[in-house]
Amino acid sequence: MSSNTPDPETDATPCAYTDYREGEGDDDLPATGEDATGLEADVWDALYEIEDPEMPISIVDLGLIYGVSVEDGVATVDMTLTYSGCPARDMLTDQVEEAAAAVEGVEDAELRLVWSPEWTIEMVTERGKDDLREFGLSI
Amino acid sequence: MTASLENPDDLDARERDALETLLKRLADDEFVLAERYTEWQVRAPSLESDLALSNNAQDELGHARLWYDVLEDLGYEEQDLVYERDPADFRHATLVELPFEEGDWADPILRSYLYDVAEKLRLEALEESTYPKIADRVGKIQSEEEYHLEHAQSWLERLADGDEGHERLQDALDRLFPHALTIFEPVNRDVESDIVDLGLRDATLEEMGEEWLSNVVPYLESLDLDVPESGQMDDDEFEFEVTQEMLPEERGRDGSHTDAWVDLYDEFTHTYRELGRSETTKIMEKPE
Repeated sequence: MSSNTPDPETDATPCAYTDYREGEGDDDLPATGEDATGLEADVWDALYEIEDPEMPISIVDLGLIYGVSVEDGVATVDMTLTYSGCPARDMLTDQVEEAAAAVEGVEDAELRLVWSPEWTIEMVTERGKDDLREFGLSI
Repeated sequence: MTASLENPDDLDARERDALETLLKRLADDEFVLAERYTEWQVRAPSLESDLALSNNAQDELGHARLWYDVLEDLGYEEQDLVYERDPADFRHATLVELPFEEGDWADPILRSYLYDVAEKLRLEALEESTYPKIADRVGKIQSEEEYHLEHAQSWLERLADGDEGHERLQDALDRLFPHALTIFEPVNRDVESDIVDLGLRDATLEEMGEEWLSNVVPYLESLDLDVPESGQMDDDEFEFEVTQEMLPEERGRDGSHTDAWVDLYDEFTHTYRELGRSETTKIMEKPE
Protein backbone atom coordinates (compact mmCIF):
# COMPACT_ATOMS: atom_id res chain seq x y z
CA MET A 1 0.00 0.00 0.00
CA SER A 2 1.52 3.33 -1.01
CA SER A 3 1.77 5.96 1.65
CA ASN A 4 -0.83 8.23 0.05
CA THR A 5 -3.56 5.61 -0.09
CA PRO A 6 -6.28 6.74 2.28
CA ASP A 7 -6.36 4.70 5.41
CA PRO A 8 -9.95 3.69 6.03
CA GLU A 9 -9.30 3.52 9.74
CA THR A 10 -8.28 7.13 10.16
CA ASP A 11 -9.83 8.86 7.15
CA ALA A 12 -13.38 7.76 7.87
CA THR A 13 -15.84 10.58 7.63
CA PRO A 14 -18.61 11.23 10.10
CA CYS A 15 -22.30 11.21 9.38
CA ALA A 16 -22.87 14.02 6.92
CA TYR A 17 -26.07 14.98 8.68
CA THR A 18 -24.44 15.85 11.95
CA ASP A 19 -23.60 19.44 12.50
CA TYR A 20 -20.09 19.85 13.87
CA ARG A 21 -19.97 23.62 13.96
CA GLU A 22 -19.03 25.35 17.13
CA GLY A 23 -21.91 26.10 19.39
CA GLU A 24 -22.62 27.57 22.76
CA GLY A 25 -21.90 25.36 25.69
CA ASP A 26 -23.97 24.97 28.78
CA ASP A 27 -22.45 25.30 32.25
CA ASP A 28 -23.98 22.05 33.49
CA LEU A 29 -23.13 20.09 30.38
CA PRO A 30 -21.65 17.78 29.37
CA ALA A 31 -23.02 15.68 32.19
CA THR A 32 -20.89 12.63 32.88
CA GLY A 33 -22.15 11.42 36.23
CA GLU A 34 -18.77 12.25 37.74
CA ASP A 35 -20.29 13.13 41.11
CA ALA A 36 -23.01 10.50 41.04
CA THR A 37 -23.16 7.92 43.79
CA GLY A 38 -24.93 4.63 44.42
CA LEU A 39 -27.44 3.45 41.85
CA GLU A 40 -27.15 6.61 39.81
CA ALA A 41 -23.43 6.02 39.39
CA ASP A 42 -24.21 2.45 38.32
CA VAL A 43 -26.64 3.74 35.67
CA TRP A 44 -24.00 6.18 34.37
CA ASP A 45 -21.55 3.28 34.14
CA ALA A 46 -24.07 1.25 32.16
CA LEU A 47 -24.72 4.15 29.78
CA TYR A 48 -20.99 4.63 29.24
CA GLU A 49 -20.97 1.21 27.60
CA ILE A 50 -23.29 2.34 24.81
CA GLU A 51 -21.59 3.64 21.70
CA ASP A 52 -22.87 5.99 19.06
CA PRO A 53 -24.05 3.88 16.10
CA GLU A 54 -21.75 5.66 13.67
CA MET A 55 -18.65 6.58 15.62
CA PRO A 56 -16.56 4.77 18.23
CA ILE A 57 -17.49 7.04 21.09
CA SER A 58 -19.61 6.47 24.17
CA ILE A 59 -22.92 8.30 24.07
CA VAL A 60 -21.99 9.80 27.44
CA ASP A 61 -18.73 11.25 26.08
CA LEU A 62 -20.63 12.44 23.03
CA GLY A 63 -22.72 14.49 25.44
CA LEU A 64 -26.10 12.96 24.67
CA ILE A 65 -27.02 12.26 28.28
CA TYR A 66 -28.18 15.39 30.12
CA GLY A 67 -29.08 13.78 33.43
CA VAL A 68 -29.76 10.59 35.37
CA SER A 69 -31.80 10.20 38.50
CA VAL A 70 -33.02 7.13 40.34
CA GLU A 71 -35.97 7.31 42.66
CA ASP A 72 -37.85 4.38 44.18
CA GLY A 73 -36.18 1.98 41.80
CA VAL A 74 -37.12 3.99 38.70
CA ALA A 75 -34.27 5.44 36.69
CA THR A 76 -35.05 8.59 34.71
CA VAL A 77 -32.65 9.48 31.93
CA ASP A 78 -32.71 12.83 30.11
CA MET A 79 -31.20 12.43 26.70
CA THR A 80 -30.85 14.36 23.46
CA LEU A 81 -29.77 13.47 19.93
CA THR A 82 -27.28 15.24 17.71
CA TYR A 83 -29.80 15.41 14.87
CA SER A 84 -33.59 15.62 14.89
CA GLY A 85 -33.83 13.31 11.88
CA CYS A 86 -31.62 10.63 13.42
CA PRO A 87 -32.75 7.34 11.91
CA ALA A 88 -31.30 5.42 14.86
CA ARG A 89 -33.50 7.19 17.39
CA ASP A 90 -35.62 4.22 18.45
CA MET A 91 -32.63 1.90 18.46
CA LEU A 92 -30.64 4.22 20.72
CA THR A 93 -33.45 5.08 23.09
CA ASP A 94 -34.35 1.39 23.43
CA GLN A 95 -30.73 0.58 24.18
CA VAL A 96 -30.52 3.29 26.82
CA GLU A 97 -33.74 2.23 28.51
CA GLU A 98 -32.68 -1.41 28.50
CA ALA A 99 -29.22 -0.63 29.85
CA ALA A 100 -30.60 1.54 32.64
CA ALA A 101 -33.29 -0.98 33.57
CA ALA A 102 -30.73 -3.82 33.64
CA VAL A 103 -28.74 -2.19 36.45
CA GLU A 104 -29.08 -4.20 39.62
CA GLY A 105 -31.43 -2.36 41.95
CA VAL A 106 -33.22 -0.53 39.15
CA GLU A 107 -36.66 -1.89 38.41
CA ASP A 108 -37.74 0.34 35.60
CA ALA A 109 -36.31 3.05 33.39
CA GLU A 110 -37.93 6.05 31.82
CA LEU A 111 -36.28 8.01 29.06
CA ARG A 112 -37.11 11.64 28.35
CA LEU A 113 -35.94 12.97 25.02
CA VAL A 114 -35.05 16.63 25.44
CA TRP A 115 -34.06 19.17 22.79
CA SER A 116 -33.01 22.11 24.87
CA PRO A 117 -30.28 23.10 25.27
CA GLU A 118 -29.58 21.82 21.81
CA TRP A 119 -26.60 19.54 21.40
CA THR A 120 -23.43 21.14 20.04
CA ILE A 121 -19.83 20.06 19.73
CA GLU A 122 -19.20 21.83 23.06
CA MET A 123 -21.13 19.03 24.76
CA VAL A 124 -18.45 16.45 23.91
CA THR A 125 -16.13 15.61 26.79
CA GLU A 126 -12.35 15.91 26.46
CA ARG A 127 -12.10 12.14 26.33
CA GLY A 128 -14.82 12.12 23.68
CA LYS A 129 -12.90 14.67 21.62
CA ASP A 130 -9.85 12.42 21.75
CA ASP A 131 -11.96 9.49 20.58
CA LEU A 132 -13.35 11.52 17.70
CA ARG A 133 -9.90 12.76 16.69
CA GLU A 134 -8.63 9.22 16.66
CA PHE A 135 -11.60 8.33 14.46
CA GLY A 136 -10.44 10.98 11.99
CA LEU A 137 -12.49 14.05 12.83
CA SER A 138 -10.76 17.37 13.17
CA ILE A 139 -12.27 19.02 16.19
CA MET B 1 -53.50 34.98 29.49
CA THR B 2 -49.91 34.08 28.85
CA ALA B 3 -49.16 31.99 31.90
CA SER B 4 -47.18 28.92 31.02
CA LEU B 5 -49.23 25.92 30.01
CA GLU B 6 -47.38 22.95 31.32
CA ASN B 7 -49.24 19.74 31.89
CA PRO B 8 -51.27 18.39 28.95
CA ASP B 9 -53.78 16.92 31.43
CA ASP B 10 -54.60 20.37 32.82
CA LEU B 11 -55.57 21.93 29.51
CA ASP B 12 -59.18 22.92 29.00
CA ALA B 13 -60.94 22.18 25.73
CA ARG B 14 -60.13 25.57 24.20
CA GLU B 15 -56.43 25.35 25.10
CA ARG B 16 -56.19 21.83 23.84
CA ASP B 17 -57.85 22.67 20.55
CA ALA B 18 -55.51 25.63 20.02
CA LEU B 19 -52.45 23.55 20.85
CA GLU B 20 -53.48 20.67 18.59
CA THR B 21 -54.28 22.99 15.73
CA LEU B 22 -50.94 24.77 15.97
CA LEU B 23 -49.02 21.50 16.16
CA LYS B 24 -50.83 20.02 13.19
CA ARG B 25 -50.11 23.11 11.12
CA LEU B 26 -46.42 22.72 11.98
CA ALA B 27 -46.06 18.96 11.74
CA ASP B 28 -48.16 18.41 8.65
CA ASP B 29 -46.35 21.09 6.65
CA GLU B 30 -43.00 19.50 7.44
CA PHE B 31 -44.15 15.94 6.88
CA VAL B 32 -45.89 16.52 3.55
CA LEU B 33 -43.11 18.72 2.18
CA ALA B 34 -40.61 15.98 3.04
CA GLU B 35 -42.78 13.41 1.26
CA ARG B 36 -42.66 15.54 -1.86
CA TYR B 37 -38.92 16.31 -1.64
CA THR B 38 -38.12 12.60 -1.60
CA GLU B 39 -39.50 12.36 -5.14
CA TRP B 40 -36.30 14.08 -6.27
CA GLN B 41 -34.09 11.42 -4.75
CA VAL B 42 -31.91 9.97 -7.51
CA ARG B 43 -33.55 12.40 -9.96
CA ALA B 44 -32.03 15.74 -9.06
CA PRO B 45 -29.71 17.33 -11.67
CA SER B 46 -26.48 16.37 -9.93
CA LEU B 47 -25.37 14.10 -7.11
CA GLU B 48 -24.64 17.14 -4.99
CA SER B 49 -28.13 18.59 -5.44
CA ASP B 50 -29.66 15.15 -4.99
CA LEU B 51 -27.94 14.76 -1.63
CA ALA B 52 -28.80 18.28 -0.58
CA LEU B 53 -32.51 17.93 -1.23
CA SER B 54 -32.58 14.43 0.29
CA ASN B 55 -30.89 15.85 3.35
CA ASN B 56 -33.45 18.65 3.56
CA ALA B 57 -36.19 16.03 3.30
CA GLN B 58 -34.65 14.14 6.20
CA ASP B 59 -34.45 17.35 8.23
CA GLU B 60 -38.11 18.09 7.61
CA LEU B 61 -39.09 14.54 8.59
CA GLY B 62 -37.07 14.96 11.79
CA HIS B 63 -38.89 18.21 12.53
CA ALA B 64 -42.26 16.66 11.75
CA ARG B 65 -41.41 13.93 14.25
CA LEU B 66 -40.51 16.52 16.90
CA TRP B 67 -43.92 18.18 16.49
CA TYR B 68 -45.83 14.90 16.29
CA ASP B 69 -44.06 13.88 19.54
CA VAL B 70 -45.76 16.81 21.28
CA LEU B 71 -49.12 15.71 19.89
CA GLU B 72 -48.42 12.23 21.23
CA ASP B 73 -48.26 13.74 24.73
CA LEU B 74 -51.93 14.62 24.21
CA GLY B 75 -52.77 10.95 23.85
CA TYR B 76 -52.29 10.29 20.15
CA GLU B 77 -50.11 7.62 18.67
CA GLU B 78 -48.11 7.85 15.48
CA GLN B 79 -50.64 5.85 13.47
CA ASP B 80 -53.44 8.23 14.55
CA LEU B 81 -51.39 11.19 13.39
CA VAL B 82 -50.08 9.87 10.11
CA TYR B 83 -51.05 6.48 8.72
CA GLU B 84 -54.65 6.17 9.89
CA ARG B 85 -55.62 9.82 9.94
CA ASP B 86 -58.43 11.09 7.78
CA PRO B 87 -56.68 12.90 4.91
CA ALA B 88 -59.18 15.76 5.31
CA ASP B 89 -57.90 16.34 8.85
CA PHE B 90 -54.38 17.23 7.67
CA ARG B 91 -53.72 20.94 8.15
CA HIS B 92 -50.78 21.61 5.82
CA ALA B 93 -50.78 24.41 3.26
CA THR B 94 -51.50 23.37 -0.33
CA LEU B 95 -48.02 24.63 -1.30
CA VAL B 96 -46.42 21.52 0.15
CA GLU B 97 -48.80 18.94 -1.33
CA LEU B 98 -48.68 19.94 -5.00
CA PRO B 99 -46.83 17.57 -7.30
CA PHE B 100 -43.73 19.01 -8.94
CA GLU B 101 -43.85 19.90 -12.58
CA GLU B 102 -42.09 16.92 -14.07
CA GLY B 103 -38.37 17.43 -14.42
CA ASP B 104 -38.60 21.07 -13.40
CA TRP B 105 -35.84 21.74 -10.89
CA ALA B 106 -36.99 25.36 -10.56
CA ASP B 107 -40.14 24.11 -8.84
CA PRO B 108 -38.64 22.46 -5.73
CA ILE B 109 -36.09 25.26 -5.43
CA LEU B 110 -38.63 28.07 -5.54
CA ARG B 111 -41.03 26.11 -3.39
CA SER B 112 -38.44 25.53 -0.71
CA TYR B 113 -37.52 29.22 -0.76
CA LEU B 114 -41.14 30.35 -0.33
CA TYR B 115 -41.67 27.79 2.41
CA ASP B 116 -38.39 28.25 4.27
CA VAL B 117 -38.80 32.02 4.62
CA ALA B 118 -42.23 31.38 6.13
CA GLU B 119 -40.84 28.71 8.40
CA LYS B 120 -38.09 30.99 9.64
CA LEU B 121 -40.64 33.63 10.65
CA ARG B 122 -42.91 31.06 12.20
CA LEU B 123 -40.11 29.59 14.32
CA GLU B 124 -39.15 33.06 15.55
CA ALA B 125 -42.75 33.52 16.68
CA LEU B 126 -42.54 30.25 18.64
CA GLU B 127 -39.31 31.02 20.53
CA GLU B 128 -41.24 32.34 23.54
CA SER B 129 -44.17 29.94 23.31
CA THR B 130 -46.08 29.48 26.56
CA TYR B 131 -46.05 25.75 25.90
CA PRO B 132 -42.56 24.70 27.04
CA LYS B 133 -42.28 21.67 24.80
CA ILE B 134 -42.80 23.91 21.79
CA ALA B 135 -40.30 26.57 22.90
CA ASP B 136 -37.73 23.87 23.76
CA ARG B 137 -37.73 22.49 20.24
CA VAL B 138 -37.33 25.75 18.36
CA GLY B 139 -33.55 26.17 18.74
CA LYS B 140 -32.81 22.66 17.51
CA ILE B 141 -34.98 23.12 14.45
CA GLN B 142 -33.62 26.59 13.68
CA SER B 143 -30.05 25.32 13.76
CA GLU B 144 -30.96 22.65 11.20
CA GLU B 145 -33.01 24.99 9.02
CA GLU B 146 -30.34 27.60 8.34
CA TYR B 147 -28.92 25.67 5.42
CA HIS B 148 -32.26 25.30 3.69
CA LEU B 149 -32.64 28.97 2.84
CA GLU B 150 -28.99 29.22 1.86
CA HIS B 151 -29.43 26.25 -0.46
CA ALA B 152 -32.60 27.61 -2.06
CA GLN B 153 -31.18 31.09 -2.57
CA SER B 154 -27.92 29.92 -4.04
CA TRP B 155 -29.86 27.89 -6.62
CA LEU B 156 -32.39 30.64 -7.28
CA GLU B 157 -29.62 33.06 -8.11
CA ARG B 158 -28.01 30.63 -10.52
CA LEU B 159 -31.30 29.69 -12.18
CA ALA B 160 -32.40 33.29 -12.56
CA ASP B 161 -29.16 34.10 -14.31
CA GLY B 162 -29.96 32.16 -17.51
CA ASP B 163 -32.85 32.61 -19.92
CA GLU B 164 -34.32 29.14 -19.60
CA GLY B 165 -33.91 29.02 -15.84
CA HIS B 166 -35.45 32.45 -15.47
CA GLU B 167 -38.44 31.44 -17.54
CA ARG B 168 -38.94 28.28 -15.54
CA LEU B 169 -38.73 30.23 -12.30
CA GLN B 170 -41.33 32.70 -13.50
CA ASP B 171 -43.67 29.85 -14.46
CA ALA B 172 -43.14 28.19 -11.10
CA LEU B 173 -43.75 31.47 -9.31
CA ASP B 174 -47.02 32.09 -11.15
CA ARG B 175 -48.13 28.58 -10.31
CA LEU B 176 -46.92 28.36 -6.70
CA PHE B 177 -47.44 31.86 -5.31
CA PRO B 178 -51.20 31.53 -4.67
CA HIS B 179 -50.51 28.26 -2.86
CA ALA B 180 -47.73 29.83 -0.82
CA LEU B 181 -50.28 32.35 0.45
CA THR B 182 -52.24 29.47 2.01
CA ILE B 183 -49.40 29.09 4.52
CA PHE B 184 -51.01 32.04 6.31
CA GLU B 185 -54.61 30.88 5.96
CA PRO B 186 -56.54 30.00 9.13
CA VAL B 187 -57.75 26.56 10.14
CA ASN B 188 -60.62 28.59 11.52
CA ARG B 189 -60.63 32.18 12.77
CA ASP B 190 -61.50 31.47 16.40
CA VAL B 191 -58.89 28.84 17.01
CA GLU B 192 -56.26 30.99 15.28
CA SER B 193 -57.03 33.87 17.68
CA ASP B 194 -56.78 31.45 20.60
CA ILE B 195 -53.32 30.33 19.48
CA VAL B 196 -52.07 33.91 19.81
CA ASP B 197 -54.18 34.87 22.86
CA LEU B 198 -52.83 31.88 24.76
CA GLY B 199 -49.29 32.82 23.79
CA LEU B 200 -48.63 29.54 22.02
CA ARG B 201 -47.28 31.65 19.17
CA ASP B 202 -46.71 35.36 19.50
CA ALA B 203 -47.49 36.61 16.01
CA THR B 204 -50.76 36.49 14.11
CA LEU B 205 -51.04 34.91 10.69
CA GLU B 206 -51.46 38.38 9.18
CA GLU B 207 -48.33 39.68 10.90
CA MET B 208 -46.30 36.73 9.68
CA GLY B 209 -47.81 37.04 6.21
CA GLU B 210 -46.83 40.70 6.02
CA GLU B 211 -43.32 39.96 7.18
CA TRP B 212 -43.07 37.16 4.65
CA LEU B 213 -44.15 39.43 1.80
CA SER B 214 -41.65 42.07 2.84
CA ASN B 215 -38.94 39.41 2.57
CA VAL B 216 -39.87 37.44 -0.52
CA VAL B 217 -41.24 40.17 -2.80
CA PRO B 218 -38.13 42.40 -2.92
CA TYR B 219 -35.88 39.38 -3.15
CA LEU B 220 -37.75 37.80 -6.04
CA GLU B 221 -37.94 41.15 -7.78
CA SER B 222 -34.19 41.51 -7.39
CA LEU B 223 -33.99 38.37 -9.55
CA ASP B 224 -36.12 40.12 -12.19
CA LEU B 225 -39.12 37.99 -11.44
CA ASP B 226 -42.66 39.37 -11.54
CA VAL B 227 -44.43 38.59 -8.32
CA PRO B 228 -48.16 38.02 -8.72
CA GLU B 229 -50.49 40.40 -6.91
CA SER B 230 -49.23 40.50 -3.36
CA GLY B 231 -50.76 43.39 -1.44
CA GLN B 232 -47.68 45.55 -1.82
CA MET B 233 -48.54 49.14 -0.89
CA ASP B 234 -45.42 50.92 -2.09
CA ASP B 235 -41.72 50.24 -2.29
CA ASP B 236 -41.13 48.92 1.17
CA GLU B 237 -44.52 48.64 2.78
CA PHE B 238 -46.60 45.53 2.65
CA GLU B 239 -50.05 44.79 3.80
CA PHE B 240 -51.21 41.25 3.96
CA GLU B 241 -54.59 41.70 2.41
CA VAL B 242 -55.22 38.46 0.71
CA THR B 243 -58.38 38.46 -1.35
CA GLN B 244 -60.29 35.39 -2.43
CA GLU B 245 -59.11 35.98 -5.99
CA MET B 246 -55.47 35.68 -4.95
CA LEU B 247 -55.97 32.28 -3.34
CA PRO B 248 -56.40 28.87 -4.90
CA GLU B 249 -59.73 27.12 -4.49
CA GLU B 250 -58.33 24.70 -1.92
CA ARG B 251 -56.74 26.22 1.17
CA GLY B 252 -55.19 23.20 2.84
CA ARG B 253 -55.38 24.57 6.37
CA ASP B 254 -59.18 24.30 6.50
CA GLY B 255 -59.12 20.68 5.34
CA SER B 256 -59.84 21.38 1.69
CA HIS B 257 -57.07 19.87 -0.40
CA THR B 258 -56.18 19.40 -4.05
CA ASP B 259 -56.70 16.01 -5.70
CA ALA B 260 -52.94 15.57 -5.64
CA TRP B 261 -53.11 15.27 -1.86
CA VAL B 262 -55.41 12.26 -2.01
CA ASP B 263 -52.95 10.51 -4.34
CA LEU B 264 -49.98 11.37 -2.16
CA TYR B 265 -51.80 10.20 0.96
CA ASP B 266 -52.65 6.88 -0.71
CA GLU B 267 -49.04 6.48 -1.65
CA PHE B 268 -47.44 7.06 1.74
CA THR B 269 -50.02 4.95 3.56
CA HIS B 270 -49.82 2.17 0.98
CA THR B 271 -47.24 -0.03 2.72
CA TYR B 272 -48.92 0.38 6.08
CA ARG B 273 -52.23 -0.79 4.62
CA GLU B 274 -50.67 -3.48 2.48
CA LEU B 275 -49.03 -5.03 5.53
CA GLY B 276 -52.27 -4.84 7.52
CA ARG B 277 -50.59 -2.77 10.23
CA SER B 278 -52.42 -1.38 13.21
CA GLU B 279 -49.43 0.37 14.76
CA THR B 280 -46.17 1.83 13.55
CA THR B 281 -43.68 1.22 16.31
CA LYS B 282 -42.06 -1.90 14.90
CA ILE B 283 -41.98 -2.95 11.30
CA MET B 284 -40.56 -6.35 12.22
CA GLU B 285 -40.60 -8.49 15.31
CA LYS B 286 -37.35 -8.56 17.24
CA PRO B 287 -35.20 -11.54 16.29
CA GLU B 288 -35.22 -14.25 18.95
